[in-house]
Amino acid sequence: MSTVLEIKNITKRFGGLIAVADVSVSINKGTITAVIGPNGAGKTTFFNMVTGFYVPDEGDVLLDGKSIKGLRPDQISSRGIARTFQNIRLFKEMTALENVMVGMDTRLKAGIFGILRNGRRIKEEEERVRVEAYRLLKFVGIEDIANNEAQSLPYGVQRRLEIARALAASPKIILLDEPAAGMNPRETVELTDFIFRLRDELKLSIVLIEHDMKLVMKLSENIHVLDYGQKIAEGTPEEIRTNKRVIEAYLGKSADEAS
Amino acid sequence: MGKLFKPLFATQASQYAVNCVYLLVASLWLHFAEKSVIAFLMLLFSFLVLYYSDKIPNKIRIIVGALIFLVLLPFATGANPYYMEVSSNVGIYVAMALGLNIVVGFAGLLDMGYVAFFAAGAYSYAIFATAQANKFIPTSVMQFPLSGGWFWLFLLVGLVVAATFGILLGLPVLKVKGDYLAIVTLGFGEIVRIVFNNLDHPINITNGPRGLPAITQPQLFGMTLNTPLHYYYLVLIVIAFIILVNKRLENSRLGRAWIAIREDELAAQAMGIPLVKTKLMAFATGASFAGIVGVIFAAKQTFVDPTSFILMQSISILVMVILGGSGSVPGVIVGGAIITVLNVQVLQEISQWMNELSMSGIVNIPSELDPSKFQRLIFGVILICIAIFRPSGIIPAKRPAIDIERIKELDKTLPQTGILGKMGTVQDGRKEA
Amino acid sequence: MGLDFYVAILPQVLIDGLTLGFLYAVVALGYTMVYGILELINFAHGEIFMVGAFVGTEVLLYFKSGGILDGMNPFVALIGALLVATVFAGGLGVGIERIAYRPLRNSPRLVVLISAIGVSFLLQDLVRLVEGVTRNAFFLNSPQLFTKSIPITQTAVLPMKSIIIMVSAIVMMIALQVFVKQTKWGKAMRAVAQDQTTSSLMQINVNKVIAITFFIGSGLGGATGVLYAQYFATINPFIGFLLGLKAFTAAVLGGIGNIQGAMFGGVLLGLFESVGSAYLDPLTGGAIGAEYKDVFAFALLILVLLFKPEGLLGEAVKEKV
Repeated sequence: MSTVLEIKNITKRFGGLIAVADVSVSINKGTITAVIGPNGAGKTTFFNMVTGFYVPDEGDVLLDGKSIKGLRPDQISSRGIARTFQNIRLFKEMTALENVMVGMDTRLKAGIFGILRNGRRIKEEEERVRVEAYRLLKFVGIEDIANNEAQSLPYGVQRRLEIARALAASPKIILLDEPAAGMNPRETVELTDFIFRLRDELKLSIVLIEHDMKLVMKLSENIHVLDYGQKIAEGTPEEIRTNKRVIEAYLGKSADEAS
Repeated sequence: MGKLFKPLFATQASQYAVNCVYLLVASLWLHFAEKSVIAFLMLLFSFLVLYYSDKIPNKIRIIVGALIFLVLLPFATGANPYYMEVSSNVGIYVAMALGLNIVVGFAGLLDMGYVAFFAAGAYSYAIFATAQANKFIPTSVMQFPLSGGWFWLFLLVGLVVAATFGILLGLPVLKVKGDYLAIVTLGFGEIVRIVFNNLDHPINITNGPRGLPAITQPQLFGMTLNTPLHYYYLVLIVIAFIILVNKRLENSRLGRAWIAIREDELAAQAMGIPLVKTKLMAFATGASFAGIVGVIFAAKQTFVDPTSFILMQSISILVMVILGGSGSVPGVIVGGAIITVLNVQVLQEISQWMNELSMSGIVNIPSELDPSKFQRLIFGVILICIAIFRPSGIIPAKRPAIDIERIKELDKTLPQTGILGKMGTVQDGRKEA
Repeated sequence: MGLDFYVAILPQVLIDGLTLGFLYAVVALGYTMVYGILELINFAHGEIFMVGAFVGTEVLLYFKSGGILDGMNPFVALIGALLVATVFAGGLGVGIERIAYRPLRNSPRLVVLISAIGVSFLLQDLVRLVEGVTRNAFFLNSPQLFTKSIPITQTAVLPMKSIIIMVSAIVMMIALQVFVKQTKWGKAMRAVAQDQTTSSLMQINVNKVIAITFFIGSGLGGATGVLYAQYFATINPFIGFLLGLKAFTAAVLGGIGNIQGAMFGGVLLGLFESVGSAYLDPLTGGAIGAEYKDVFAFALLILVLLFKPEGLLGEAVKEKV
């Protein structure tokens, strides 16, 4: 299996605090990888470095073998890494459909003069964008709220909308930051199936941060465990479940529960 | 729309009736009353009644709207120069408010130095349409002032100069965020005014505080535009153009990117939107409107000096946007009209009335109480009240609903694109889950 | 012009710059304190300063019209004016917070800023209205309490009022520092600045702490207004706007939220402005002169925000993703 994303020894410091220390992760094409760890372990910082919100102090991030370190978030996004946020960040006053359309922005060609002339090309592009956005809403199962404002939607729908928006950029990799947070057990089961569909139908590589161990164990092919900014373990769910250091990090409780 | 009006707008027929009655009452009243602010405002706001008459086809509404402003308003007022003057002023400010709306309303960048772009446009025409340009360009190269026919080219020049200003100022400024941006743009606006005020030395470019008098008036087919009615029509055309541009941008890729940045800068960036470039576009577009309007302003006033471009002007325009509804095109037009009429008509008339009272000796009102001097107080109260009670303005912005039926039609014919192209046919998410 | 010209005017330029700088510094404290606790640029702070100048001047004029000013110890008169102005401006600040900011505590920051701009404009005209009706003019001449000067060099004098301004400013700043570091309310203030929610869980009355912050910040601003009126003699309702902007620049320069930073930024800006307006004209042969002095402050603000937005003494803070 080929590697699509290679994160090599990245480190991030904030003042005296080392948030992420010398972490390496490699993501294989078409797989689901989880990054887990107790609160404050540096998981979100890790995501922020991969997506360009923070520049790593040391190390490198390679997408298809090319370094993307130091690029802006929008440049990284247009190179094929999309993400969702831990605390849903939709464009609240825009409709659901428009939220997805924004996600497509980098793939569009319209310039300001084209928009002002509003010729046939632009009109057609706009229609294609609408249709694709609508299909993405359909894919995540929420097309009936296409014209509703994002802020008026229930929590679970907002989560789905955020994923649809991330898909709109047509990424190779999608990073999901705690996708199951705040979901009830039934919604979590639905989410599990949905994430499998992302991998199987859309051929996506998926990286997720998650606290729900059941979900992680069921979904992931590979798990990386962070604790105090350091990677303490890596392996299949089987290996992680029995790893002593991981059990220690979780005070021996969570890992037991997960099994 | 209040509940009271709902029945009136229930059917297409009732909407036609409402419009007819409204227009008839407003125009007759305006025609027979002498200088009635209310009648004037009533006719001015007829576009709102049209705007809410959503059952009348768009084309008819646009034609009726055009007729109201092209024919009805000039006729009802008997092309009274006073009303035409007020209307062109309303138009000039509405046009600027629509420009600022792109920056503040769409992109969410609080620009408090917007009048700098207006100044750039005004001066770019004023300098060359007076003998001023010969102070730094030898007469052997070219003789100034330019003739009135150049005005039309200068509409474009003003646009380009102001947009360039927008980009030059925006490049450094737009890295600053939120509240800080407000202060920095305010600073820039002041810098531009101070520079214009002092650019009479070492090289005399702007003629400093003395200003530029006797600006050439525009010529069209040999006719000189020099009456309020002429400028009224000129402003009308520009406004129509600016509204069209606003509308097209609002529902385009660019408009969506602006609003996305306003809503959540980080998420927008994560979705691939380049922040600086997109913000610069907003700044330059907004500035270019002010540039065009500045050229018209210079030609209409035939005089410019730095006092027309003080901070208070920037604040006035900002108040128009916030009051009307930040990001809402009809709202901003209403806001612009209200504030301008308040400034140039209502306050002046109250002042005059109070003066007459004082003169006739009925009551003695000190001149410090003159309401036309209380712009700041009134704007202050408006800003506070809007912030506390109605932060989204008189007519809040609303994203347009997209025709889903049309999309469903297209869904059947268009090929798969984007990430979904990697799979066969789209399945319904819910059946899976 | 020769080098000796530049040297000869230097002492006076520095004295003027320092005096101005200390005025900026104390007003900057008000911005910094409010920003530290609410992350709000209190746009109306410049106007609070202006109100303080008018109240203090009215007190002195009242003494004068009563015929007691001449027989009075000038220090007693100044302290009387300072006290009244401080309390009035402090109360005004608390009132503004209560009416125009508190209802908006959960609104987007842009909305709060708009409210603050509104307050700023409202106050300008309100003062003009009151002065216009009562005195039929809105320019006020403040009675001068300290007119003596100490000669320093042949070309430079140290005016008594400059000394008073600098000493008062330093006293106010030390007092504030002691208050914030040593007292119960000062500690509560720092706690609220760190984390409002946690502070309220710790039984700290957040609203009261914010009110106290506004009282102190505004009071200091009002007191500075009195000193300003002593220094410049004439005041009008619009002095607060530009001075406020400059004081804000000073606060940003030193690192907003940082008390020593405000002091440092104020003095730096005052010197920068004074040196700039004195030397630029002769240096450029009259092409660019003192008429650009307000441009310097803005240009400095923009440069700092671009290259060191955390201020010269501040620490970098990264936005939370």
